[in-house]
Amino acid sequence: MSRRLVGSVGIGAGLVLLSAGCADEAPQDTWQPAGENAQRIHDLQWPVFLTAGVVGVLVTAVLIFVVIRFRDRGQPIPEQTHGKPALEVTLTAIPAVIMAVIAGFTIPAVMALAETDDTECVVNLTGQQWWWEYDYPVGEDGTICGYAPTSAEASPIITSGQLVIPTGTKVLVRGTSRDVIHSFWIPRLNGKRDIVPGRVHYLRLEAEEAGIYAGQCTEFCGLSHSNMRMEAVALEPADFQRWLDNELEPYVAPDDGTEAADGEALFIQQCARCHQVNGLVDDKNNDDPADDALVVSAPDEFVWSGAAPNLTNLMTRNTFAGATWDLLTEECRDDVWNATPAEFGEKYLEGVTEECLNEVDLREWLRDAPAKKPMYADPEELEATDGKFRGMPYLALSEDQIDLLLAYLIDRK
Amino acid sequence: MFTTGSKLLIGSTVIATLAAVLYGVTQKGTLGTIGLVSASVALAFLTTINMYVRDANVSATDIDAHAAAPAARRPPAASLWPLAAGLGATMVALGVVTFPAITILGLIVLLAATAEWLVQAWSERASSDQAYNTAVRERIAQPLELPILGAIGVAVIIYSVSRVMLGLPSKSGAVVAFVVVAALVLVVGTLTSVRRKLSTATLAGLCSISVLAIVASGAAYGLNGERETHHHETTAAIAEDGDCGADETEADEDTSQTVSAKANVAATITLTADERLAYDVPGFDGGTATLTLPRSTANNVLFRNESDEHRRLSIDTAGAAEVPDKRVICTALVKEGGVQILTVQFAKPGFAAANGYEFTVPGVDGAVLPVVVP
Repeated sequence: MSRRLVGSVGIGAGLVLLSAGCADEAPQDTWQPAGENAQRIHDLQWPVFLTAGVVGVLVTAVLIFVVIRFRDRGQPIPEQTHGKPALEVTLTAIPAVIMAVIAGFTIPAVMALAETDDTECVVNLTGQQWWWEYDYPVGEDGTICGYAPTSAEASPIITSGQLVIPTGTKVLVRGTSRDVIHSFWIPRLNGKRDIVPGRVHYLRLEAEEAGIYAGQCTEFCGLSHSNMRMEAVALEPADFQRWLDNELEPYVAPDDGTEAADGEALFIQQCARCHQVNGLVDDKNNDDPADDALVVSAPDEFVWSGAAPNLTNLMTRNTFAGATWDLLTEECRDDVWNATPAEFGEKYLEGVTEECLNEVDLREWLRDAPAKKPMYADPEELEATDGKFRGMPYLALSEDQIDLLLAYLIDRK
Repeated sequence: MFTTGSKLLIGSTVIATLAAVLYGVTQKGTLGTIGLVSASVALAFLTTINMYVRDANVSATDIDAHAAAPAARRPPAASLWPLAAGLGATMVALGVVTFPAITILGLIVLLAATAEWLVQAWSERASSDQAYNTAVRERIAQPLELPILGAIGVAVIIYSVSRVMLGLPSKSGAVVAFVVVAALVLVVGTLTSVRRKLSTATLAGLCSISVLAIVASGAAYGLNGERETHHHETTAAIAEDGDCGADETEADEDTSQTVSAKANVAATITLTADERLAYDVPGFDGGTATLTLPRSTANNVLFRNESDEHRRLSIDTAGAAEVPDKRVICTALVKEGGVQILTVQFAKPGFAAANGYEFTVPGVDGAVLPVVVP
């Protein structure tokens, strides 16, 4: 192979690699900040990368020049000298000055990112293998993130998969973990934050425009680490108010005699052992409502982390199974993701309709969850976890049972 | 006459043949039998060749030279290592039917004795010069023997000293006894350095007597047993006994009143001077209507006491209505201005608990702080 060909292939491969960084539709792009905190990091990384790039190119160029110009041609070894104080001081001073200038910009940025004084909304975040739980506490003034419920009384909202926040609001995420170390990262909104069991970590988020911002766990946390994703959904204030009111709406049971009602009974029997649906009651075929029993999940008895996603209003979210799969079909998903900020709230709050439900993935999940997402779910290999599962086990549901569950779940919004 | 190599090969052939017969009769598998028969055939072949070439040793045909060779000489002294190896093997067998520890000890003895036996047997026939043979043995064996024996000796002394310290009637008695021993070591050391004419034998005797005294004392105290150690109660134990009350318990004696984990806690709960429970959630500057803590995870809560009395923070993590179902945990008594940490974990959401969850301060009726666990 000629030198020219090798050179051309090398340059071509380099350009291909370089152009991979130019994708403007990449959802997890730190170069497309969408909030104050990410912008602050972006403003810092540009000059740092530029300076480092110039220094890197200069050093490499000088190195290549020296290697070629002074390569061994059998000439005598030149006179060896030792010590050039002026040169040494200069070569020490230049990097020191560069580092000092960078530190001058970096330190205030780090301090600003750690501030919590101006928090307007707090969301508690809990990581576990392999999904994130969000709960919204009620503030002293009876509001959630500064929004008072329109009709219902304020009570903590608990959800998973998608973190819903109001736009233009300084949100403080208080994170902890139920099992191992995870890391929360939504690149367009802020940097990473490790989430360590037994500790509480803070991360500021703020989105300027309505939309969905994708992220994923960035601390290796076990078998399905790569499937532990998260999405932040930013809604305009009015839309956030609608979302909040909807979340606080009381549970509505399916009409008797419907497929959804049968699905509810099946859910109580098969799913409610781990998954909570707020307000769900088991009427046990009694006529007297006084005999109804509130269905309370006990995931701590079956799941190693002690928790499974709360499925109240599942169909208001666009994702399931740790935000790994969409609840929307590709077309409907694109419609929501590509909506303009003005249209986004309306489209998102519509939730998952029957026409838009991604039945394929949801059915596969219900059919055999561990086959779809690697999890420690083999009952014969759970000695180390005291017989408890990490993730959802295989439930041996028939196709008819899956139909019933879908009929029930589609109305959970 | 059979040469040394031939004896080895004949023995190996016989063993392989016997093994093949034994395996073939007792086991169903043919593969093992074929393997063993093949081995015996191969060994028989090698034996034949070896016998024919007389170990490829020209001098082997010289009977007189063979008789005069170092290998043919009688060893200079009887060896004790076979006895030790036999003892080790017996211990291995004994341990199998009694205690595994004896088997492990027997294995160590067996391996050590076999190694020593091999080195000794080899070195005694290394040359016709006994002095050289002794030097060779020391050069091979001592780099291993000295560190191992040294480590064993040090371990025996440390273990003996520890038995004496644990066997003395009180902790202060142990301190006094070893201050005296240390003083004696210092005095003997000083005298030794001053009186330079002290012979090596005298010094070795002194050291030997001291070591013997330590080992004998250790054995005596070890057999006598350790002194009784008082186990201090913990807050977990008093909680289990249902003693998370206002009264002081043994678990409250000399407890720490400071906590190093000041950051990354879920909440700080303060008993104010007017005996109310206030709380602060870090990062939540606006305050919350109720304290919200996540379920199924460890929540570290700091308890700060600003009242005039010694108080503890308590919570029933089961939120149960009946006493038998309660799982109450608490801090130790916290003095005025003191802080302690309590790690709380809730298995169920608050709405599923009969009585909900609430922090309380035993002895202070108004100090109640509900906790929301979604």
